[in-house]
Amino acid sequence: MGLLDYYKRFEALSDEEVTEELKRQSAERKAKALERVEPVDLSRTTWPGLPHPYVVNSITYAARRGLNRYADPHAAELRAEIAHRHGVETGRVVVGNGAAQLLASAATVLLEPLDELVTAWPSYPLYPQLARRAHGHAVPVPGFGADRLLAAVNDRTRIVAVCNPNDPTGELMSLEELDHLLGSLPERVVVFLDEALVEYADRMPDDGSLGLLARHERLLVFRTLSKAWGLAGLRCGYVIGPDGSQALLEQLEPDLGVDELAQAGALEALRSTGARVARGIETVRVQRERVVEALRDGPVEVQPSQANVLWMRAKGMDGAELARRLELHGVIVQPGGAIGEPGHIRASVHLPQHAERLMHALEQETGAKNPS
Amino acid sequence: MRTDPTDTGGLFISRRPGTRPVRYREVPDRKQGPRRAVDAIVAGGILFFMGLVACCFWGPIPMAWLWVGAQIKYHTDSVSIGIFVAFLGMILTLLAGLALMRRLDQFWILVRRAAGHDQRKGVIGPVFAVAAVVGVTLFTIWLVLIAGLSPSLAPTE
Repeated sequence: MGLLDYYKRFEALSDEEVTEELKRQSAERKAKALERVEPVDLSRTTWPGLPHPYVVNSITYAARRGLNRYADPHAAELRAEIAHRHGVETGRVVVGNGAAQLLASAATVLLEPLDELVTAWPSYPLYPQLARRAHGHAVPVPGFGADRLLAAVNDRTRIVAVCNPNDPTGELMSLEELDHLLGSLPERVVVFLDEALVEYADRMPDDGSLGLLARHERLLVFRTLSKAWGLAGLRCGYVIGPDGSQALLEQLEPDLGVDELAQAGALEALRSTGARVARGIETVRVQRERVVEALRDGPVEVQPSQANVLWMRAKGMDGAELARRLELHGVIVQPGGAIGEPGHIRASVHLPQHAERLMHALEQETGAKNPS
Repeated sequence: MRTDPTDTGGLFISRRPGTRPVRYREVPDRKQGPRRAVDAIVAGGILFFMGLVACCFWGPIPMAWLWVGAQIKYHTDSVSIGIFVAFLGMILTLLAGLALMRRLDQFWILVRRAAGHDQRKGVIGPVFAVAAVVGVTLFTIWLVLIAGLSPSLAPTE
């Protein structure tokens, strides 16, 4: 290196060159940021959006008003709102810390040791746990349908739990089938009709199942604000029973009631956000059909769903493997292996962009067609 | 990048103007010890040479071209040509001198950096200022004390 070369190494970049370099670095950072796509979690059935500001404000107001005192243990105002919404007497409604707590309480109250809880399978994984915790015995019945459940009922059966629409398969038991089931069960058997996802069903009239309460005294209908209402964090659900079930319902109520924040949030949600929830439900219905239609006759088998979930499997591929591959595309789904269905996965359907991501990932990994 | 507060609504964006580190194409291999002393001496030499060049603007270069102009007038017997050549040559030489000064200034910056200084600006301005003061002072002394203010062609008696 010559003398001049040595000194030339101390030449600084000009302002223009520095600006160009900074611009290039900025463009690189921007491109990298745009390249990064956040994973989308389709393994949960909860609504992906944030709660309405009215709900948050209501909770905040309740928190500042006075958390030093106990809330109304019977959630009278919230129960009245729910009862009014469904056209039933307030005494037939009990609010709990989520439908799961009410289901667990009902199982504990009703099940004697060695009593059986019959449920379709695959279904909500909590049902067998409820039976075990209440020292009962869970009887999973493969498939979904009233006759299958009836075939599994015996003298020890105390509860038949029906998740309608069924999570994870999305199947729906029609009102006629439910009526047939209820009418055919022995007098000792109580039906838990878990309608956590019923808002998404478009083949079931609104509150259609509540009409069954007038004819069947051994039916409990469970609803939740955790799914379509998008308030899973509040842990708020309710159960509606037939006339004459008040004594049983009282036993399901949490000992000191539902916390005040949950009451305030749920009340405001029911009063103010119905239209928003309805829009969300409509979106799910449209996207659900879109995905099912796109995957029809392809390498991925998916059955029509009445819930916000799709139960699917890829030909020649394990469910866990498919879930793993989809995760590589930033799409997280629930493998069915945990509930004894290793060939399947469960993917929830909510927003159009989520459905898009799901279809794109399936197309990449299985060759399923993507209409977009 | 706009960092001047007048361009950014009164706010300094990033660093204050002129305070960012010098950016090199590649990080130079900075020598230590004697090499730095040599570089400092070289920088001093360049500065001295720049001073000489700048001083030439205020005396030697104009005088040289006036002499050339006088020679042309003598040979061509044309005052106009002599003046024209003298002024043209003077201007071109001054411009060439400025270009040389500019290059020397840039090189001086590099040598100063090599000598271990965070040198950002050149020294051409101060060199010109000092040379001007020296040149004007010497010219004034020559004009007032040596040559005299009276016309040289006018009768002295």
